[in-house]
Amino acid sequence: MNVSLTLVAAVVGFMIAIQFQTVKKPNERDTRDIWQLRAALLKEKELESNLLGEIRSNEEKLSAYESKRKQSKEQALRDTLQELKLEAGQTEISGPGITLQIEPVIEDIQLGSPDTKIVSPELLKRLLNELNMYEAKYLAIDGQRIINTTVIRDINRETKIDGHTIKNLPLEIKVGVDTMNAAEKLSNRMKVSKARDEFFTESLRLNVSDADPAVSIPSYNNPIRIKYMEPIKEGGGS
Amino acid sequence: MWLPFVGLIIGIILGLLTEIRIPEEYSNYLSIAVLAALDTLFGGIRAYLQNIYDEKVFVSGFFFNIILAASLAFLGVHLGVDLYLAAVFAFGVRLFQNIAVIRRILLTKWSPNKEKVEKN
Repeated sequence: MNVSLTLVAAVVGFMIAIQFQTVKKPNERDTRDIWQLRAALLKEKELESNLLGEIRSNEEKLSAYESKRKQSKEQALRDTLQELKLEAGQTEISGPGITLQIEPVIEDIQLGSPDTKIVSPELLKRLLNELNMYEAKYLAIDGQRIINTTVIRDINRETKIDGHTIKNLPLEIKVGVDTMNAAEKLSNRMKVSKARDEFFTESLRLNVSDADPAVSIPSYNNPIRIKYMEPIKEGGGS
Repeated sequence: MWLPFVGLIIGIILGLLTEIRIPEEYSNYLSIAVLAALDTLFGGIRAYLQNIYDEKVFVSGFFFNIILAASLAFLGVHLGVDLYLAAVFAFGVRLFQNIAVIRRILLTKWSPNKEKVEKN
């Protein structure tokens, strides 16, 4: 019987301990008076308003980022398109470069001979090759932009560049490069190049201008037809 | 005789060590249950000293009193009347009576001079 009494006593003790722990919770008494409480409340309110402001600014930032992201996709596409257009010669370019002029050699013109000379396509092609060799980036002959697919050929004794006939001399060739430095280099190289002699043998004179900080080169006018290229189908099919 | 007190101390130590906490809302019920349990405990001790101790009565009284007290408090909360005060009052009175009886019995037991105690 002592055992049951002891067990019950233990249970009671357990309950008392739990109750004691539950009630004991507030360790320190709150001894602040009303003004201190008001000050504390004010502080908390300030904190709250600060937090609200922070939340608002963060949300604004978030929406700004969101719109920027949307824009930037478009912007990236635009940039890429612009880049590709530039590369394809669809844009007008103005920048450092040189101007070449091809004119007939007047001393060489004999009486009675036809005065209009034709610049042969071979000569032009050699000139372009040489220019390209010296890192010319943008080319235009007689206002006709030279792009990768440009053809220069002789049709019925007329030199044609992509369907544009070169009839009149003097002929102007505009060459654009990226930097002024490169333009000077190109100018110097062209002044001593063999191209001058080659032109001279055909009774043509090639004048090479000094480097010009602002040479404007027109864009390619005709549509570029793509015959043998297709876009890859979605899903990466070969 | 001292075994119940040892049990009480063990129970308190166990309770403090386990660090169990019950929710604030239920602390009322626990307090009234503790009161009921204490009352039963002291009643048991008194009965033991008076040699009328019955284990069945004691154990059943222990649980029955706890449950009754808790349900009384529960009912009081739901009726909007502080019924647990009735339990507190009843158990408090009985607690004091029991302790008084125990005190008298112990005094008679240990007093060398019986007459002195009688006068008390």
